Amino acid sequence: MAIAKAERLMNLALCLLGTRRPLSKRELRGSIEAYLEAASDDAFNRMFERDKDDLRELGLVIETVENLDGDTGYLARRDSNRLPPITLDAEEAAALGLAAKVWQQARLAGAASGALQKLRAAGMPETEDAYEVHSALEPRIPVHEAAFEPLMLACRDRRPVTFDYRKANAAQPEQRQVEPWTLECWRGHWYLAGWDRERGAERVFRLSRITGKVRSRAGAFTAEVPDVVTVRETVESWAGETATRTALIRLRTDSGYPLRARALSVRELGNGWEELEIPYGHGLDAWLVEFGPDVVVTGPEDLRADVVDRLRAVAKD
Amino acid sequence: MATNAIDQTRRMLSLVTYLRERPGAHVQDVARAFGITEDELISDLDVLPMCGTSFRGGDLLDIDTDGDRIWWHNADDVAEPLRLAADEATALLVAARAVATLPGLRESDRQALLRATAKLETAAGEVGAASSRLSVTFESEGGVFAEVDRAISERRRLWLRYYSPARDELTEREVDPIRLFAVGHTYMEAWCRSSEDRRTFRLDRVAEIRLLDEPAAPPELELRDLSAGLVQPAAEDPEVVIEVGPGGRWVAEYYPHDRAEELPDGGLRISLRTPDPASLRRLALRLGREGRIVSPPELAESARDAARAALAAYDGAA
Repeated sequence: MAIAKAERLMNLALCLLGTRRPLSKRELRGSIEAYLEAASDDAFNRMFERDKDDLRELGLVIETVENLDGDTGYLARRDSNRLPPITLDAEEAAALGLAAKVWQQARLAGAASGALQKLRAAGMPETEDAYEVHSALEPRIPVHEAAFEPLMLACRDRRPVTFDYRKANAAQPEQRQVEPWTLECWRGHWYLAGWDRERGAERVFRLSRITGKVRSRAGAFTAEVPDVVTVRETVESWAGETATRTALIRLRTDSGYPLRARALSVRELGNGWEELEIPYGHGLDAWLVEFGPDVVVTGPEDLRADVVDRLRAVAKD
Repeated sequence: MATNAIDQTRRMLSLVTYLRERPGAHVQDVARAFGITEDELISDLDVLPMCGTSFRGGDLLDIDTDGDRIWWHNADDVAEPLRLAADEATALLVAARAVATLPGLRESDRQALLRATAKLETAAGEVGAASSRLSVTFESEGGVFAEVDRAISERRRLWLRYYSPARDELTEREVDPIRLFAVGHTYMEAWCRSSEDRRTFRLDRVAEIRLLDEPAAPPELELRDLSAGLVQPAAEDPEVVIEVGPGGRWVAEYYPHDRAEELPDGGLRISLRTPDPASLRRLALRLGREGRIVSPPELAESARDAARAALAAYDGAA
């Protein structure tokens, strides 16, 4: 039976951490059973390179040192791999326990529990209910988008990417070349902010509109990464939440609570109607139409025309 | 949780550090401390004796267990606590910062979280820097949240005025809260005394809330698994078919559906199930020329009627 990968990785980690002098590939191969069993030098080399990368992903700092014979040696020095002292009290430990459970994405969920286990090994107190529900609250960060993981890594490593992106109202996706800056989750959806190379401007992308694979590109970023990236403001303006004008509507009494909740003023008109002044941003026409005959737009004229136009389209179906 | 080799290696590295400090540790305690099942721990303990610095020299970890306690006979100093990897620091820091933004979080919990976050940032050092490239904002209505949280901890009943967008109406009801959870928006799961059924309430749709003196007495319920999504239509729910043009493709992003087939004009034909198709009248109105309800015909009809009635209020517009 092939030796399990976890056993092989564990052995390599222990060898590199345990040595005081750099070990050559030959020495490592002699010490680790799975490497000895490798069918060929090529197979061993490929396996070794991959394992080294995996251990680095796990946080191990592996140094490469040339020895006197020109051989390359490897070691993971204790002092560069040791966790700095950290003392957490029981409350803090419980709070981190709650936080570690919020990821619904396998890679980050694994990384968060890994972090907690390292802290535990370093002496973080064990609270009775560390993995139980700490408060009545169960926050979850949803990640349904396939593009999330590759983009997360690209943001982390500052690597340019290309992907096909279908704009909200476009039938066909278009290829975009992007230098990814940050990912932000807002109202349960993930967005990417970055530099769109072809457009030569900052752009925000919604991850659910990325079709197909995210591909990494060679090379470095060409645009400077700003200190502050404003994903939320951009998305809010898409959602019409940055209103610049106000509108006047008539609303049937007892209906349209959300309109009422954001009204700037409400005036009783009698006969079961009220007049509301509400913020007028992008998308208000579509929202008002949802209320059917319970809303009548008084003005401005362009909003009134848009609403009538939409109603006509439905009435004629 | 399925264990992949990376996660298992990560865990075993921490495990050896942990076990070195605790000779004779109980399997049960160690599994709990590591947030894994006893079976997962035993499978790690099966691997560890095959690991060491030299299988030929016999320098292997001499760790064994009788199924109850764990002994490490040649514990050495290889096992020091390891620094955090970039992904580990990011996963924990981003989550901690997100949870700390929940407006209704108990103040003592928030303070503990902020202290822990600061210590973690220091311990993570430069690998923690990349965590600023990922951020999450939870939304919740602070005042409503605090009332629900209090009702849960004091086991008390709540009175709500709640907005239902499907009917565009506010209803009053008494509920026994079960739990709060946040998936994008923040929700309360509760036993609704008015409908004698389990209901989920989105906190930003709570218009008014009051804590009652009656004790909450929700029936013993199995908590729903939320990982499959909030909306889990039943097989017997009626089907609604909607055709949208390119400008209506967003419907597939917002409405959980069974099928979305591409149409030649760049639009979609979306099939979904809902217990109450009439609740989709709003969507039908909103779509305008970007889409139409294919079935059920009553739904298309009611949208048409509503649009005609609305147009009647605009002079000469009909």
